[in-house]
Amino acid sequence: MPHGETIQHELSRIRLILALMAGLLVLLVGFLFDLQVVRGHEFEESLHQQSLRRVRLPATRGRIFDRNNVCLADNQPCYCLAFYLEEIRKPGKWKNTVAEVQQRIQMLTALVGRKPAITEDDIWIHIRRRLPLPLVAWRSLDPAALARLSETSCDMTGVEVYVEPNRSYPNNELAAHLLGYVGKADFSEDDMAGYQYYLPEMDGKMGLERKFDSVMAGVAGGRLVRIDATGYKHEEQIEREPRPGANVILALDSRIQCLAESAIRDVPGAVVVLDPNTGDVLALASSPTFNPNQFVPIVPKALWDRLNTDPARPMLNKAVAEVYAPGSIFKPVTALAALNSGAVSAGTVVNCPGYYMIGSKPMRCWNSAGHGIVDLRHGIEQSCNVYFATIGVKCGSEAIADMAMQFGLGVKTGIGLDRDAPGLVPTPEWKRKAWHDEWRNGDTCNFSIGQGALSVTPLQMAVVAATLANGGVVYRPRLVLGLRDVNGTAITNYPVVEVRRVPVSSSALHAVRQGMYDVVMAPTGTGKHARIPDVEMAGKTGTAEYGEKEDRKKHGWMILFAPYDRPRYAVAMVVDDAVSGGQTVGPRLHGLMMGIYGKTDAAGREGG
Amino acid sequence: MSEGLSNLGLLRRMNWIMLVAVIGLIVTGVFFIYSATSLREDSTSDLFKKQILWALAGLVCYLGTAMMDYRKLRDVAWGFYVMALVLLVAVLFFGTRIYGAKRWLMFLGVGIQPSEIAKLAVILLGACLLSPPAEKFDRLPSLWKLFMLAGIPMLLVIKEPDLGSGLVFLPMVAAMLYAAGAAVKPLAMVIGGGVLAVMLVLAAVALPERLGMTPEHQETFFQTIHLSDYQRQRIEVFLQPGKDPMGSGWNKRQSEIAVGSGGLTGKGFLKGTQNILGFLPRTVAPTDFIFSVISEEKGFVGSAAVVVLYGILAVCGLYAAMVARDKMGRVLCVGIVTMIFTHAFVNMAMTIGVLPVVGIPLPLVSYGGTFMVITLFALGLIQSVYVRRQGL
Repeated sequence: MPHGETIQHELSRIRLILALMAGLLVLLVGFLFDLQVVRGHEFEESLHQQSLRRVRLPATRGRIFDRNNVCLADNQPCYCLAFYLEEIRKPGKWKNTVAEVQQRIQMLTALVGRKPAITEDDIWIHIRRRLPLPLVAWRSLDPAALARLSETSCDMTGVEVYVEPNRSYPNNELAAHLLGYVGKADFSEDDMAGYQYYLPEMDGKMGLERKFDSVMAGVAGGRLVRIDATGYKHEEQIEREPRPGANVILALDSRIQCLAESAIRDVPGAVVVLDPNTGDVLALASSPTFNPNQFVPIVPKALWDRLNTDPARPMLNKAVAEVYAPGSIFKPVTALAALNSGAVSAGTVVNCPGYYMIGSKPMRCWNSAGHGIVDLRHGIEQSCNVYFATIGVKCGSEAIADMAMQFGLGVKTGIGLDRDAPGLVPTPEWKRKAWHDEWRNGDTCNFSIGQGALSVTPLQMAVVAATLANGGVVYRPRLVLGLRDVNGTAITNYPVVEVRRVPVSSSALHAVRQGMYDVVMAPTGTGKHARIPDVEMAGKTGTAEYGEKEDRKKHGWMILFAPYDRPRYAVAMVVDDAVSGGQTVGPRLHGLMMGIYGKTDAAGREGG
Repeated sequence: MSEGLSNLGLLRRMNWIMLVAVIGLIVTGVFFIYSATSLREDSTSDLFKKQILWALAGLVCYLGTAMMDYRKLRDVAWGFYVMALVLLVAVLFFGTRIYGAKRWLMFLGVGIQPSEIAKLAVILLGACLLSPPAEKFDRLPSLWKLFMLAGIPMLLVIKEPDLGSGLVFLPMVAAMLYAAGAAVKPLAMVIGGGVLAVMLVLAAVALPERLGMTPEHQETFFQTIHLSDYQRQRIEVFLQPGKDPMGSGWNKRQSEIAVGSGGLTGKGFLKGTQNILGFLPRTVAPTDFIFSVISEEKGFVGSAAVVVLYGILAVCGLYAAMVARDKMGRVLCVGIVTMIFTHAFVNMAMTIGVLPVVGIPLPLVSYGGTFMVITLFALGLIQSVYVRRQGL
């Protein structure tokens, strides 16, 4: 093609592009003409004569039940008085609207009978961040106030009684650490980019409420209502049904949970009851506790500050998030490690003169007079430190660390709660890294009797107790059985999870269990205070020192399982500032087990 | 020095009508940004002052580029393109996340949108590649080469995610190829493919069953093409206006009410009762939805006037293409005009509900520094082509 022709060809293409653009712009002007001039009066009318109100229909939050269908977290209708700021909007600056809202609040205060829960700042925040949602000025209106409001002659345009489901915890403190609580949802800036209309007003802030927030929240719906100048609603057409959230079914037994909480109500501590055959968490309590009802819908600041500065840390779930030295309750693990290594047998005897020499330094047994000649069964029953230091050194720290990890110590239990602490199983390698120091015999001795760097959570020790009880199977603690929809149909079932079988011989396990039987059932057993009539139980007590040198305190521990032959309950309890495991925790476990076996009346008194 | 003076002299040959249209749009923008933000008592209320500063900076660029010989850009086109790519990659890593998308790079306290720079870079590179200096007009680089070169920044922009801005690349490149004399058949095939892809996305959003897609397939598909939930919602609302009248549908409807209630002559400056800010996410009113404010307050007269101003820009720009001294100038002008036109058309069409809501600004009018400067820079290039036109 000659050059000139090519250019002509290209120029004609450019003309075509221009024509296309011009056509599109003419089309656009046509649309504008149609919208603004031809149909303009429709929109003008729709502005002057009526307004559309978007009414949000909140979704019902899923409820939480225990294994016997006892409701632990419920919803209560809460009557609120709300302002629709888009309708109250005054011309000009938003300042005018805020003033108008404040004026109306003042008028309505007389009718409602109390001051509103919102300040001028709240109104501003609402305008900036959640304008299309109703601004709730009063919550929990009583029937008298509702009646006065329905008969008032005040200007009620843009004001409406609005029913909001409010979270309530029917048993107050019961299982508070597990359930957590809900609070006003924070919209992040990212949410604002989309459309916040269906975002939940409340979200879970802690515990199961937070973990299962997405399944329990449901999805809000909404309807469009046409409102004329007199406030009359013309059409009420549901545009989108709210979708309720799923119910959560716990493995918890609220009766046992209640008993467990009473057992430690007066002392800081924690207690866990597991079903050793499944790993089901029947009770998991931490003391002191809090009442989640006081947190809904907004935590009062004074309460929040008090709870968070309290040295006993009521907001902390000590059963999973706090680590302790286990002390002597660790000895069954040491015994199994020693038996398994072949270094000792159940018949191996040790002479306890009341101390054990580590090099040239004596380590004292708790009984300074000495236990004399002890075998495994006596060693466990009497919790003889010399015996365990001896067998621990014989089998070595690696064997003990390995057995401890087989029992699930040193790693998270996988219960699925926040801050599931892993604890620590010390090894020579760990000590080199953390302390830049060699592992010595003294470390092995300390480790053997559950002291030193070893740290565990109460839940981990309950898993140890359950594993000793069921013959060596470590189950993952199961807190939630499943999710159900509102009709009760199963959405999800969480299976029993067997983590591993601890590789120990049945004879070794039998020997250790016999020792633990004597701890509770023998007249001289350290855990005899836990004994209850008619039920054979086995356990192990422990006492671990903590705190500053000048102000040494003791944690009292006890693990327990019952009945001895076919265990149904495996328990671990720890209490701060105890005299000893046997004397402080024993009687508390006695009370708990009496309750579990129905040997006490409702008031906790023991029957004839 | 003498070259500088003679360049200054060239400015007298500028297309003054075009300059008047440009200034008209900028002034309109400043006024209505003021209107859209004056009712707010927060920090956005001085946006119009910032916009004036950006416009002044942009106009300096405009005059600068008009004086500069556009043919010199041949030497820097590749460098500019690579720099744009680097910025686009950088924004993915170091970008500031504002409202869910990483589109801004903060540089000395100023936010830059690399996606806008990339558009100009692709236009420059395209103009160079499509006009070989050896005057071998029949030896065009293959379509694919240019589509690939445009495709890389386009995908990076979509990944930010900024689907609307990313899609602008398509008509831009297509128009440049067409104007450069590319064979219509392969071009149509590529464009047809693009249209088909868009249709596929729309169908996947609206009619997954027809395509035999299970919800899982649908999820995977959207993840693969980086279509976010809110983009899906907007497309759904556009295709099925009744679907979500409370959420995204509400905004579309309110925007229509705002435009419609403006009537023939509007409610008057600063008197828009619909108050665009009340129902739209507060960031977009002075930016992407500024046309809605203009239409409400100035009515059909005002909105049509804005459309006419863009028409003048298109006519002047394409006229510059036709009288250009060489092919590079022609292609350059076509690319720039198409970029600005696409932005303007899509933005205005979405405001009145004719197209789905995509977040792209109205050139020269919407608030936004990078885009203002880039647009004026680009329009300056058109003047640079025009003042060096043939037959002088």
